[in-house]
Amino acid sequence: MRVLVTGMGGHLGTRVAQLLEERADVEAVVGFDLAPPRRRLRRATFTRIDPRDRERLIAFVRDFAPTAVAHFGVYEPAARLGVRAAGPASEDCTVNALGAAVRAGALEHVVVRSGLEVYGRGRRRSEVPDEGAVLGPASPFGRTCLDVEAHAASLSRRHGIPVAALRLAPVSGSRAPSPIGRLLRLPAVPVPALADPPFQLLHTDDAARAMVAALLRRAEGAFNVVGPGAASPWQAVHLGRRIPVPTWGPGWPAAARAAEVLGAPVPAHVIDLMRRGLVADDTRARTELGLVDLVPTQQVLADLFAWASVTPVAPVVSNVSTAVADDGGPHLRLVGESGA
Amino acid sequence: MTPDGVAVAAPVVPNYGIDDDRLLRRDPVVGALRRRLTGHYAVDAFGGDPHLQDFVLAPVAGRIPMRIDGAEHLPTEGPALLVANHGPLLVEPLVLVGAVQRTVARRLRVVGLAAPPVIGALTHKLGGVSGHGGDVAAVLRSGHLAAVPLTRRWLGTGAGEAPRGVIAATLGYPVLPVALALRGPLGLPVAAWSVRIGAPLLPPEGTEAGDPLAAAELAESVRASVTALLGRPGDGAIR
Repeated sequence: MRVLVTGMGGHLGTRVAQLLEERADVEAVVGFDLAPPRRRLRRATFTRIDPRDRERLIAFVRDFAPTAVAHFGVYEPAARLGVRAAGPASEDCTVNALGAAVRAGALEHVVVRSGLEVYGRGRRRSEVPDEGAVLGPASPFGRTCLDVEAHAASLSRRHGIPVAALRLAPVSGSRAPSPIGRLLRLPAVPVPALADPPFQLLHTDDAARAMVAALLRRAEGAFNVVGPGAASPWQAVHLGRRIPVPTWGPGWPAAARAAEVLGAPVPAHVIDLMRRGLVADDTRARTELGLVDLVPTQQVLADLFAWASVTPVAPVVSNVSTAVADDGGPHLRLVGESGA
Repeated sequence: MTPDGVAVAAPVVPNYGIDDDRLLRRDPVVGALRRRLTGHYAVDAFGGDPHLQDFVLAPVAGRIPMRIDGAEHLPTEGPALLVANHGPLLVEPLVLVGAVQRTVARRLRVVGLAAPPVIGALTHKLGGVSGHGGDVAAVLRSGHLAAVPLTRRWLGTGAGEAPRGVIAATLGYPVLPVALALRGPLGLPVAAWSVRIGAPLLPPEGTEAGDPLAAAELAESVRASVTALLGRPGDGAIR
């Protein structure tokens, strides 16, 4: 198997590359992204290409002629790219990379990253949708995910190549950039004044495991992948010992603006999660992909807050070095942190 | 376990010592309030808050006087759909919760409770689930007990229609007919509730999930069973 990993510079893409390069049945792992990976890769090779650079990207993919594509070049707004840039970058990356992979002539299987945001919420809709539920994204990121799925499905129809879409719960982890993680780590967090809907999170390593499982099992179709259990905004805020700020109606845009000023830009799909919740039925992923031991949502939350509570102490200052955080900003490397 | 017999490993969901299916132990008041403030509780994917249920719902449901017949039909583990008659009163879901709590010490998800803002959030926390067939099927796939009402009978007589959409979406899981009524001396509607639970009903073997004809037949069987459990007029049975 010759695997192309799009979005390899992100935490998810890098973890997928690491997991694949450990396997003897994977002949080669190659990837590209806007920024390089921040973890050591042993066999996998990375090339820095902006997914919007069409000609270079197409030439690169055609030269490699992958037999499988792990498509993580779907950028969540306010994670590694800004709210406005994420959608077009995802679109360009999907169209260019998948198109070139097909034209290279060896492609046998594609797995794309999608999100639970494709379902949307509202009256007469399932509150815990399975993969057959009606789609109706209500946010730009949800629409981006649906577009990515549509491109991949079109490719599958025209060329007869099996395609799987992993509809991931919001991916979070102590070292992965995520808008929901940044929001929940603020000292004061907006929460719905008149509701407390459930949401699920997915650990970054589990998202990578899901991708590898889908590739190796040649999965086809859509799969909801979520961390077992659920949390709610009020419970999460109490667990993190943050100050809940009850918010209602027109207060949400103001809360989002305030969070952005404090360094945590909040895209529309994260506000939607806080107001209406985001959960799904993952039975299919558990049965067909064997994803039965994922990190529970509550553990993902606990890890998120445990990391944020680490405080550097005076004697350590001489050993503190400046590193680049996954979210692109400088931060202090703390005692005991690997600096990955 | 899915209705077609595919084994699904239940995810391990640590919830700070609280089980989302079984009633284990109840925190003392101070401990419970501390939990609420520190966030050491979890909600489930359906919005249920087992800790709040233990704290608020269980004591209330546990105090409702009732007589339960057919308790042996309630499964001690695994999924089942309870279909009960629905009279003019609002406390019937609470009676069902109390009956399940007393007999098998499990939690019950009640389908189709009102969901306006605020009240909807509260009913979800206390175990309410939307009436969408897919959501009820998801509850059962997770191995829980769910209860769905027949259509309401405002005069409190007989059994209403069974919700065919829900029954179609959940075909393959055992369906338990349940009759609820207030029953006092001389058949008067005072004092203790009577809860009669019938034997599990299943569609014919080989029925595929979503089969509308099988769902209609099963819905009719359920309605007939609930009617039989309610008893004939004049025999002093519950109605």
